[in-house]
Amino acid sequence: MTVRKSFLVLLLMVGMLAVTFTARGAAAAEVIPPKPTEYVIDAAGVLQTQTLRELSQTLKDFEAATSNQVVVAIYPRLPEGEVLEQYTVRVAQQWGVGQKARNNGVVLFCFMQDRKMRIEVGYGLEGALPDSLAKRIIADEITPSFKAGDYDAGIRRGVAGIMAATKGEYKGSGRVLGVHVDGGGITLIVFFGFLLVLVVLIILSYYVPQGQVYSSAGAVAGNILWNLLSIILQMLLEGLLSGGRGSSSGGWSSGGGGWSSGGGGGGGFSSGGGSFGGGGAGGSW
Amino acid sequence: MKKFIAMGCVGALVLGALILLLTGIGIYNGLVKRSAAVDAQWAVVQSKYQRRADLIPNVVETVQGAANFEKSTLTEIADARASVGRVTIDASKAPEDAAKLAEYEKAQGQLSQALSHLLMITENYPQLKANENFRDLTAELAGTENRISVERDRYNEVVRDFDVAVQTFPRVLFAGMMGFKTKPYFQATTEAQTAPKVNFDFSTPKR
Repeated sequence: MTVRKSFLVLLLMVGMLAVTFTARGAAAAEVIPPKPTEYVIDAAGVLQTQTLRELSQTLKDFEAATSNQVVVAIYPRLPEGEVLEQYTVRVAQQWGVGQKARNNGVVLFCFMQDRKMRIEVGYGLEGALPDSLAKRIIADEITPSFKAGDYDAGIRRGVAGIMAATKGEYKGSGRVLGVHVDGGGITLIVFFGFLLVLVVLIILSYYVPQGQVYSSAGAVAGNILWNLLSIILQMLLEGLLSGGRGSSSGGWSSGGGGWSSGGGGGGGFSSGGGSFGGGGAGGSW
Repeated sequence: MKKFIAMGCVGALVLGALILLLTGIGIYNGLVKRSAAVDAQWAVVQSKYQRRADLIPNVVETVQGAANFEKSTLTEIADARASVGRVTIDASKAPEDAAKLAEYEKAQGQLSQALSHLLMITENYPQLKANENFRDLTAELAGTENRISVERDRYNEVVRDFDVAVQTFPRVLFAGMMGFKTKPYFQATTEAQTAPKVNFDFSTPKR
């Protein structure tokens, strides 16, 4: 077989592979909304901007203080043929709200046209927010306001109830997982600074004698220089990796997100990978 | 020359045996991990069923307090719970026998039905509906049924993972001699396997 022919065969194989993967991907697509980047999602447009902003800030502060991740998700309707609690647990699980090790996530779902809502509680908060309490919050705090048409008040009271129930359970680190979206610009600078230092180090390593002692003074100077550079390198690495995150992998991906967003926009949410087991309660109004 | 050929053959045999051994180890470990995942998820399912079983005495007690509550419904619950207890199933290891699992499921399904029936009957007892204790209990029951449903689905997922692994080539060649058999799934039972519907009208003011 000629080189040209074998190349074409390879291309064909790669093409076929690509088609299989994309086809599989399309078939597996489900009607799950994308992972939230905000604490409050109002796809139905029922909340005032003031409420949205205040609640987002409140929930962000709550995560910083307790590490619990609470998300409010308001949609116009349930997808066709879906049962409320089966759908919400799948969505919450897919989103991974809550810290991975603690599973301390809560999602308040509202489907406005279906007039149904559900509080989905993660494994780790089932003790603090049992089903009966979730039901009470829905029935006593949210439903009356919703029936009166005051959605802002309903959501505010619901969130207040959820926070009151779960606040004593875990201690937070004072930071949220999504903080890298804020400091995206700074991460960029640090990264390039790190690269620069690395380049400098490589260049210098050709000049700094290591191992062989050409002259005692030169060797000492070289040694000091090398130590200094390695210390700077370590500091940069620490700053890069430990800048406010729950897990280093989360830090990197959020840093990547920071670059693409241009490092603007405060108050981003980033899910920690928490799991849900179907706890919580639902209701209608 | 013959010596080299002989040595070459022996070398090839040894290499082949080594490859086979390593593959076998890899396959065995993979199947053990998957089997352990199924056992772990089975334990979770058991704990959710246990949670429901633990709630039942509370429900019965609360309901018995209501004046003139239909005795037959309570007897139904007691019988269903008893029949669940009669099905002996290993809680520590995932079931390998499809018939055993079906029997277990049937008993649990009976209990689900009895509970469903009970909650339907309570619609006729307004003093029960207003009872705070009862409201809490029904919320817990509904939550428990939901948890059972979720964990059963996840159980089926890990079982599928295991079954596919055991049956696909080349693992299928080794699985039999290593003692791995396919495990049964939870089926949807013919009796209405639905969570007890809780429809409360909370427009009536409490207290």
